[in-house]
Amino acid sequence: MQQNPRSQEVFDVVVVGSGAGGGTAVHVLTAKGLKVALLEAGPMLDPAKEFLEHKMPYEYDHRGAEEGGKSYFGKGKPFGFFATTSGGWQLEGEPYTVGEGSQFQWFRSRILGGRTNHYGRMSFRFAEYDFKPHDKDGLGTNWPVSYQDISPYYDKAEEFIGVCGTVENVASCPDGKFQPAPPPRVHETLVKKACDKLQITCIANRRAVIHKPTNGRAPCHYCGQCGRGCQTASAYSSAQVQVFPAMKTGRLKIFDLAMVREVLTDNNGKATGILYIDKRTRTEKTILAKAVVLAASACESTRILLNSKTSEFPNGLANGSGLLGRYLMDTVGFGLNGYVPALEGMPHYNTDGNGGAHLFMPWWLWDKHNKLDFPRGYHIEIGGGYGLPGVGSYHGAARRLGYGADMKTKIREGYGASIGFAGRGEMIPNDHSYLELDPNVVDKWGIPVPRFHFKWTDYEWKQARHMEKTFTEIITAMGGRVSGLSAAQREANGISVPGTIIHEVGGARMGTTVKNSILNGYCQSHEMKNLFVVDGASFVSNPDKNPTLTINALAWRACDYLAEEMKKGNV
Amino acid sequence: MDRRAVLRGIALAITASGTLELEAAQHVHEETAAEKAKTGAYKLKEFTDGEFKTLQRLAELIVPADKVSGSAKDAGAAEFIDTLSSQNATLADIFHGGLAWMDAEMRKRYTSSFAAAKAEQQTAMLDILVEAGRIEAERQSEQLVYEKASVYKDFSNYTVKRQNELAAGVQFFDWVRKMTVDAFYTSPMGIKDLGYLGNKALSKYEVPKEALEYALKRSPFAQG
Repeated sequence: MQQNPRSQEVFDVVVVGSGAGGGTAVHVLTAKGLKVALLEAGPMLDPAKEFLEHKMPYEYDHRGAEEGGKSYFGKGKPFGFFATTSGGWQLEGEPYTVGEGSQFQWFRSRILGGRTNHYGRMSFRFAEYDFKPHDKDGLGTNWPVSYQDISPYYDKAEEFIGVCGTVENVASCPDGKFQPAPPPRVHETLVKKACDKLQITCIANRRAVIHKPTNGRAPCHYCGQCGRGCQTASAYSSAQVQVFPAMKTGRLKIFDLAMVREVLTDNNGKATGILYIDKRTRTEKTILAKAVVLAASACESTRILLNSKTSEFPNGLANGSGLLGRYLMDTVGFGLNGYVPALEGMPHYNTDGNGGAHLFMPWWLWDKHNKLDFPRGYHIEIGGGYGLPGVGSYHGAARRLGYGADMKTKIREGYGASIGFAGRGEMIPNDHSYLELDPNVVDKWGIPVPRFHFKWTDYEWKQARHMEKTFTEIITAMGGRVSGLSAAQREANGISVPGTIIHEVGGARMGTTVKNSILNGYCQSHEMKNLFVVDGASFVSNPDKNPTLTINALAWRACDYLAEEMKKGNV
Repeated sequence: MDRRAVLRGIALAITASGTLELEAAQHVHEETAAEKAKTGAYKLKEFTDGEFKTLQRLAELIVPADKVSGSAKDAGAAEFIDTLSSQNATLADIFHGGLAWMDAEMRKRYTSSFAAAKAEQQTAMLDILVEAGRIEAERQSEQLVYEKASVYKDFSNYTVKRQNELAAGVQFFDWVRKMTVDAFYTSPMGIKDLGYLGNKALSKYEVPKEALEYALKRSPFAQG
């Protein structure tokens, strides 16, 4: 079955995955003159067809509930009909399993550009202390790299993809190379005033949305629908900003619908390419290359390595440490909504802005941990404004209000007066959170699937309680009232289900030695010099900064290094 | 988990055990649009004239016309429900069964079908369902606490309330209400009623001063 002709082309590098890591990899490697193959498990992306950014719900008879009202049965697209995401927590024919006593939901994207098509575009640098967490509180493990090592690559990534923000000199969230940021909306100004009173830092948000022409991309036109994909690529997506331009070099070849099973190796400690299943024909195919760069997402890359067993590596490729799959992390999530009477009856205006919040609150107690009952921190994201109504927008209000003229009036009066806060916090890596192969289950491509184990600990639970207390204080300071669940219900469910924040990282972490890690500080395997992992798998810790920008920076640095090492003949 | 999540779970279970072939349904909505453009009149796809009239009456009771905008009936709520039901047997059964339940219950109480009853009888029935819905939601959330919160597990004398005897009607009303509200607020009429002004291309983003001043004046941060 395996098709492996003698005359098969050998690429300089094969990259697996086309999201933030893979997109950055093909951009950097083709710019260095290397011949690159890019494999994507989903189809090619056609933004003109796929992105529904300017559609209104009434343009569809199903209004967004999807054919036959799928969304009412929990079978619609994960973020709604209009969202561009092509993937989800459950994919037909591609299962995963979860160990007893654990909860974990694995989000996978299957389209060129991956999750960068729909993500929130929050772009925060790690702080200096984020790279040395063990030095700060004795928990977890230090990274083998420092802020000074990565900072130049944050610069490159921010300048290339475009990140808006303001220079603030906040130690927990270092400044970057920013584009202008849009002004705060009315509810955000009220949040800022409440935060000033509570001594919580509140500054301009930092998102990968451009506000001036950049590399041929038009600035944001403020339609506010970033989650649907952006036809003008004003909001960063790896497909539009990195992969399509890399195709123009003539040095990039894309293999779509290519489901990778394993990394191919010789018996001399070198990777020789990739074995994948061509989804169109259900046949095994290979790509040969001088170097292999995995960027399939933290858990998918880890799964590929675990499935790449050889006599030399019986427990998975480059797994001499036995830590492959270990230290899986997600972000701690907790959300609370409030109702702010001051906003009732305000003269309506267009609050869409650049699609995300225009302000946010970086972790403000980073030097006051002696007064807290949990380690590490979180940032706060803000929701509110006059949103585009959609299917489901008023189910809750209708249940609360009954029916009739009174319900209609109250929905009208309350429109735009609600506000929401979401905490995004750091989890401490623990021994109970990891993935391994499930010996009993394969997907429809015949590839063994991962089995997840995951546990929050008291560190995360207490942090979520601090979020709850803080959000309540902010809502109250705005003259509002909390409109969330009852306290007793929160007692049962006061923290996000692992995997649902979609910040899962770790599994093939970097470190100083072959004993304590899979990769070195350049995302390069300790044991196989021409094998790199440039997605979130390399993360040693998962600071409260959304991971994408750091994946961009680490992938850029790794590929710079790989190109140099290839030139020197070391790889 | 909130009640919505519970209901979603129930709905999922129903769907999983049913013989739903959503993917098999063709793009009926496109046909519908084309049809409307051609004839100007809506052609029923799933419901009888009687069922459709009841849905229309329910729609105008749930979201009635007022001085700002028309009713959910005017906004096409019954057509919305008919179109989606014609594409999904499970959804169709929820409405066929629910409408039949409603008429049976109305005949028991008022010796008349829903559509033929007096307006005050219709609203009296809806009031009963809303009240039963409140009690049912409370019961479900208590049961959740009982099942999920470890701190409550030691309450040896804790009893879960019995399910309301109108539960079937409560569930049906929840369906007709949520789909009616969705149809209204996603229509041009409903979006205008709320005053949504976005999803437009702008060259510059500004926040109007009068909006900011209005909110500040009413907030705890008002000067003086």
